Amino acid sequence: MAEQIPLQFEHRVNKSFDDFYPGNNQQAVDDLKNCIGGTGEQQIYLWGDKGLGKSHLLQASSQLAQSLRKTTFYYAFTAAALPAITLLAGLDEYEVVCFDNIEAIAGNAEWELGFFNFYNRHRDRGFKLILASNCPPHWLQVALPDLKTRLNWGLTIKLKDLPDAERIKALSYKARQMGFDISPNVGRFLLNHYVRDLSALWELLERLDRATLAAKRKLTLPFLKEVLSKHEP
Amino acid sequence: MSSIWNNCLAKLEHEISASEFSTWIRPLQAVENNENIKLLAPNRFVLDWVKEHHLARLEDTIYEFSNGSLNLLLEIGSKKSPPPATLQKNTRTEAKKSRPNFLNRAFTFENFVEGKSNQLAKAASIQVSENIGKAYNPLLIYGASGLGKTHIMHAIGNAILQKNPAANVVYLHSEKFVQDMVKGLQQNAIHAFKEYYRGVDTLLIDDIQFFAGKERSQEEFFHTFNTLLEKKHQVVLTCDKYPKEIVGLEDRLKSRFGWGLPVAIEPPDLETRAAILMKKAALVGVDLPQEVAFFIGKRIPSNVRDLEGALRRVIANAQFTGREITTEFTKEALHDLISLQDKLVNIDNIQKTVAEYFKIRVADLSSKNRRQSITRPRQIAMCLARELTSHSFPEIGDAFGGRDHTTVINACKRIAALRDSDIKIEEDYLNLLRTLSH
Repeated sequence: MAEQIPLQFEHRVNKSFDDFYPGNNQQAVDDLKNCIGGTGEQQIYLWGDKGLGKSHLLQASSQLAQSLRKTTFYYAFTAAALPAITLLAGLDEYEVVCFDNIEAIAGNAEWELGFFNFYNRHRDRGFKLILASNCPPHWLQVALPDLKTRLNWGLTIKLKDLPDAERIKALSYKARQMGFDISPNVGRFLLNHYVRDLSALWELLERLDRATLAAKRKLTLPFLKEVLSKHEP
Repeated sequence: MSSIWNNCLAKLEHEISASEFSTWIRPLQAVENNENIKLLAPNRFVLDWVKEHHLARLEDTIYEFSNGSLNLLLEIGSKKSPPPATLQKNTRTEAKKSRPNFLNRAFTFENFVEGKSNQLAKAASIQVSENIGKAYNPLLIYGASGLGKTHIMHAIGNAILQKNPAANVVYLHSEKFVQDMVKGLQQNAIHAFKEYYRGVDTLLIDDIQFFAGKERSQEEFFHTFNTLLEKKHQVVLTCDKYPKEIVGLEDRLKSRFGWGLPVAIEPPDLETRAAILMKKAALVGVDLPQEVAFFIGKRIPSNVRDLEGALRRVIANAQFTGREITTEFTKEALHDLISLQDKLVNIDNIQKTVAEYFKIRVADLSSKNRRQSITRPRQIAMCLARELTSHSFPEIGDAFGGRDHTTVINACKRIAALRDSDIKIEEDYLNLLRTLSH
């Protein structure tokens, strides 16, 4: 029988708080929800390794803000190319602003000054700012001292790495949201024989989702080995 | 929010990747009438991106949910934002249109923690708030970022308004002045701009170093400044350094900024840092033990914002875990910050920095040499080690050639006394403190 060709939905997993597996990062989830809800901090800076869910949490924050009828903006910087500084125009009027990969602007004089000016206007309005980075604020190579002290000002939260048992639960949680099951047995095999890096695991999940859909099969250990053998990491 | 737009969002959320949706679609604000649905983008950048990448999909979706009855309009703009929570409205007169003064009520003299490093600035600020335009005009407060300049400036404004709610006080960052001027020029409204700024009773301008290199803004500010001073209205300025040191600032401005009283705010000493932490904690209803305040203050010697950030983390962790705030708990909560500080500020690093500063050898600091050119830097280094590290007096003595702990205690007392009596020693000490803390 010919394989069914599944539709390609990039990142079909919804990025809400409900879809986030908190593991040992429940505090970060609570602090973000309180911040958006209006009872918590005005500024939160999340940092941690790739794959721990920083982008997910920022987008979830933005989604929660929208559901509370607050104006919100999310943007993920990339180190390769910063956008024009005009991206910041008018954003100080947005009640919840989330910037991902904020480390990308460090060392760029135009962006540091532009962001500093945005920061002051936005903060003076009492609005919420959520930032994410791969390192804590005091490690950022920010040249403008005025900006550097401001990045340290808010609540800084380190996203904790997930131990293996939690990674297996997280895999299973995410898979269920995508519509298929990963047994603990399969999860353990993946961690022991494939890869432990979380971002690589999330990418693999999308492949496995397509494979199970195309073959109309459950993700058993033999089927997983078959899929992995077709395309080694 | 428009119900049609809500339906569109619900559909688009499943059609577009989460990241694309969050960045470009969610921020759009919808305004709907019988004929059109207008989507407002915050700026040209977002508008252009949406037009280029999502226009067709948006049109199709809106067509679907409105049964073809609504046209899509894409524009730059914003629905009116709610008034900022912390800012006050200036209600000078009923007749005049009320304008925000941008003062933050939370910053007052009462909750400004006074120490040796800032007492002159605070005293001068209180004087100014009680004798507008008469005491010191302009009052210029200068010092590194994160030491409380903005707090004290807002405190001046709030104190003036407390005594006279009708006073026309305006606080703004220098960048806002530049932005307003550019807008005034673009919209042919420069006269209104001039009238507004030259008409205030008290003008509080933060971070004037950002005027550097902006000639037109400097010229306009020069005239605003002169007009206000002629009318005996108050001007208060802050700057990250003494204005004469700012490159790109006109000499005539530098000279005028020095007419009144320039006062410095220095980094707070350990006792003040601890007091700041306890005060900030009390403001959010947390009773911070003194030993914890000293622990954090010793580990984070740089500036008040860093202290506040650390305190926030300790309180958030305590609230989440339900644990009592002890020194041990604080160590855990701040472990990454502390390990970084330990890396940066240790006795070896202090000795190296002090030796370089005084142009002597590191070995001299541990030697038996008793010439004053060596003993003074040695005493300063010992004192810095006591202030910036958690080492005990005996440990510090050991690190300086196996000296007795009483030698370290005496060195600390000697330097504390000299800092009060000898400006040069005070300056050297603060310079070293700054170098080691950043």
